[in-house]
Amino acid sequence: MAQHDVEITISKTGDVKVHIEGVKGKACMEYAKWLTDVIGRVKDRQLTSEYYEPEVKSRIDLHQDLKVDDGSA
Amino acid sequence: MSTVLILAPVIISNWPAIAVAAAGAASALGFTMKQTAEEAVKRDEQAAAQENVELELAESQVLAQGLATDQKIVLTKGSTQITVQRDARGRCKVCASGSGLSKTELKQAAEEFTQKLTQCFIYDKVMKQLKGKNFQVVNEQVAQDESIRIHVRRWVD
Repeated sequence: MAQHDVEITISKTGDVKVHIEGVKGKACMEYAKWLTDVIGRVKDRQLTSEYYEPEVKSRIDLHQDLKVDDGSA
Repeated sequence: MSTVLILAPVIISNWPAIAVAAAGAASALGFTMKQTAEEAVKRDEQAAAQENVELELAESQVLAQGLATDQKIVLTKGSTQITVQRDARGRCKVCASGSGLSKTELKQAAEEFTQKLTQCFIYDKVMKQLKGKNFQVVNEQVAQDESIRIHVRRWVD
């Protein structure tokens, strides 16, 4: 499970700062678009290094140790 | 960190949602709503003879849905009266009037109310949308500069 955090600051004048954390790649863009649609129009955007990281994908490595009983024991 | 967005608010909504935001702004700024239609009419007649300042929320659109003709919200605090209504072009208009107040003071009152209305409207809308997406509020506070900070979280597979 991935933790997605969003910090929203609504200023006294109504301008809104949105900080999306823990969300990488395309999913981050989807959050940004959704919140822009809800609030208004983009005045400024800063993409941080995490944005360019690949999305987390689950991987399971299976290992199997084979023992050959050659009958010498 | 991932992304930081700075967004300018755009108010596009039906009248009931704007009325809720106006009530929130009124409460925060110490205004009270008019009790009766007669009182509103009487106040309007008085206001016609007073100084008044009108502000239009440039990026706003009040949808006609649920809006009766000449529907408006009238709020008072001392000698200051604030009227919120939909103008002929469908934009939200805030008008400040009052006796014994200068144009500058009225403009300041109208601006303060407009900003608070915008903040309340965006807060209500954002919270509703966040809950719809199953976000949980981790922390919420009003800072000294009167900004509202909301920290929300959700867990995704």
